Amino acid sequence: MIARVRAGEPEAYAELVRVHTGIALRAAAALGAGADAEDVVQQAFVKAYCALGRFQDGASFKPWLLSIVANETRNTVRTAARQRTLAGREAAFAEAEPLIPESADPAVATLETERREALLAALEKLSEEHRLVVTYRYLLEMDESETAQALGWPRGTVKSRLNRALRRLSRLLPDFQPREGGDERE
Amino acid sequence: MTSVSEEPERGGERERDPERGAYGGEAAGAGGAGSAAGASPLPEELRALGRSLDPAGAAGSESMVERVLAQILAERIPAPVAEPPRAGAGERLRTARRWTRARWRSLTATLCGLLALLALTPPVRAAVLDWFDFGGVEVRYDPSAVPSAGAEVPGCGRSLSFAQAERRAGFAPLVPRTLGVPDAVTVTDEPRGRSLMSLCWHERGRVIRLDEFAASLDVTFTKTVREQPEWVELGTEPSATGMSDPALWFPRPHVLSFWLVGADGDRYTHEERTAGPTLLWTHDGAGGEDVTLRLEGVASRSRAMDIAKSVGAWPPVSSEKSPN
Repeated sequence: MIARVRAGEPEAYAELVRVHTGIALRAAAALGAGADAEDVVQQAFVKAYCALGRFQDGASFKPWLLSIVANETRNTVRTAARQRTLAGREAAFAEAEPLIPESADPAVATLETERREALLAALEKLSEEHRLVVTYRYLLEMDESETAQALGWPRGTVKSRLNRALRRLSRLLPDFQPREGGDERE
Repeated sequence: MTSVSEEPERGGERERDPERGAYGGEAAGAGGAGSAAGASPLPEELRALGRSLDPAGAAGSESMVERVLAQILAERIPAPVAEPPRAGAGERLRTARRWTRARWRSLTATLCGLLALLALTPPVRAAVLDWFDFGGVEVRYDPSAVPSAGAEVPGCGRSLSFAQAERRAGFAPLVPRTLGVPDAVTVTDEPRGRSLMSLCWHERGRVIRLDEFAASLDVTFTKTVREQPEWVELGTEPSATGMSDPALWFPRPHVLSFWLVGADGDRYTHEERTAGPTLLWTHDGAGGEDVTLRLEGVASRSRAMDIAKSVGAWPPVSSEKSPN
């Protein structure tokens, strides 16, 4: 695919954009782009296109792209405010319709919202590095080596930071009781 | 975690018990070893959180394709051409990093005029992190760095009270219960307004020394070793990432370099001494910051690990025996 783009087929790039738009938007949202997420992602795709000549054959496109998205998000956010505040991120989440089935019990829906808010608040309290590693590894559902590639960290660093970040997160969620055993947890 | 929860919590300033109160995973104490890796619901919660960020409907990707292609055409961006492999992304990244680092260095030196700062961003740090990531400590490999013989662990000097030490260092001392109340607590100023807290115990004419500092900061200590230290695990419960409280054990004496603030409070001197066997690990500080700890003066690895495992917030017992 990348070879075709390099061969001068912009349509081939369309396919790359199509495949990665979803995760790129999620990354921008998770990293605090808020309402600017779409613009950020558009810029990131254009920059990725410009830089594609330097893309290393055999490397994975997704983490490479997401590190560009992250940069672009940082730049955008920095010009607006320092970083989106918690309130800003919550607004972004409110925009993204919660994935609660319509049939769901309203009480369960409230619980889901509260859980998400608690998680967000806890993420907000993490250090930058911890927040990043958790975001890449879990919110963006990348594996360890992709996370390492996207962050430009060695794998051992990803491992140990993730370990500590998760522990810190769990400590920041004191009221976050797991639901009764057997309930959807495997 | 360790079984210290029978200790009564004193002093209402600690609003949460770091040994309990956690959610799922490692702290679901009742589950014990049964709640092993992968069982933690937290990663699943986080994945669900990520998915909840996705905009509803898949219409977004088509319009994104249009927007991107339109911009590429409008700005007449040439089709990317693969560059020769030598100038691959990795190589370029490294070149760029080297350049930035060099530039950053001269910039900093100009601004601050402090040689000390240069050494705080050593070029080897990236490689070092490959196998070692305890903030604030750098380990260099140098077979020619011969430690001098017969070195002793330095004592702490005049002691502060815990409260004074906490005020000056900005974090509460972490104290291993197996060693008990230290004979002395001191705080040393380090470059960039940060602090190093040291706790000392005297044991049969020798000093056991525990240095503590905020882990998120830049390199404070540099250890130059002739052989690699060993990884040891302080935790017993496997974690989601397969590593449980990693620590590093330096079995042999090695050269330790560190910084001391000058009398004018503004200049730093680079000091070097030989350190004996050392255990290095991190612990969650009360304030939410990781604290890096280095224990020196205990020659036995298993005893050092026991001491490390017993570290916790202070005071777990009555405060009448304060070091002062």
